[in-house]
Amino acid sequence: MNDPHDGPDVRHVHDGHDIGCLQAIELFHAYLDGELDPVSTAEIEHHLDHCRGCYSRAEFEGLLTARLRAVAAETAPEGLRTRLRRLMDEF
Amino acid sequence: MQAPEADRRDFSKRVEAHLDALYGVAMRLTRNAADAEDLVAESVAKAWASIDSLEDGDRFRAWIFRIMRNHFLTGYRKASRGPEFVGLEATTDEGDAGELAPFLYAQPDAFLQWWADPEKEVTDRMLGEEIMAAVNALPEAFRATILLVNVDGLGYDEAAEALGVPPGTVRSRMKRGRTLLQKALWEHARDAGLAPAGEAMA
Repeated sequence: MNDPHDGPDVRHVHDGHDIGCLQAIELFHAYLDGELDPVSTAEIEHHLDHCRGCYSRAEFEGLLTARLRAVAAETAPEGLRTRLRRLMDEF
Repeated sequence: MQAPEADRRDFSKRVEAHLDALYGVAMRLTRNAADAEDLVAESVAKAWASIDSLEDGDRFRAWIFRIMRNHFLTGYRKASRGPEFVGLEATTDEGDAGELAPFLYAQPDAFLQWWADPEKEVTDRMLGEEIMAAVNALPEAFRATILLVNVDGLGYDEAAEALGVPPGTVRSRMKRGRTLLQKALWEHARDAGLAPAGEAMA
């Protein structure tokens, strides 16, 4: 099976609206964290629609975040909840 | 003097809503479950005592995280059984995040595709302990920022307030820290023979 990610970004359209890979990568993390302004968001989404290499990079970052959240999230022990309820009852 | 019941109830609700994240941050600071519970309880008491300093109710999460961090840094650390904690203030040696884009650009497609393949059992095996090991190996400022944003779900401005740094520092730490993380994971996968060979990374 052909690897769709092999080779250059042949679908990448360098039109007048495209910000290019390096600038897109600069904005990746803020974009994925929902911290970009609307104009930059539109620019990076335009780029991702046309650049499969950056689409893969963004997909990697999104997966990494999801997996990190799955392994790193903590649940407060029941004992701590009870302790805090008692504490806050005294406020 | 008893606090107005509505204020107390509202405070309790907010603490409950953020308790998992508070405990998670406390665990990372103390690296010890018993100390983490103490740190959370003491910080909640301190937060209630200074509730008047909460000017904007929408900033509750950042506000109480900051109280906990300050409590840890100013007093709690001395008694902690955990390792010495590195300060999270902005430093001048965090590097220029802008220089990292060429690094990510050079990431081999084969690695990215391998990582994204949900059917690879080996991928999932790598992904629990090894992701955490890679995160824990990051410089503390990057580690703390990534975990606050990506695990605890704080916005950049909230994380900035909680860490006592400018918002721009959070943004650059996310870029640089996440790039360092990706580099570490790629090197691990390559060295372990897990990931397919790609072109050399810079």
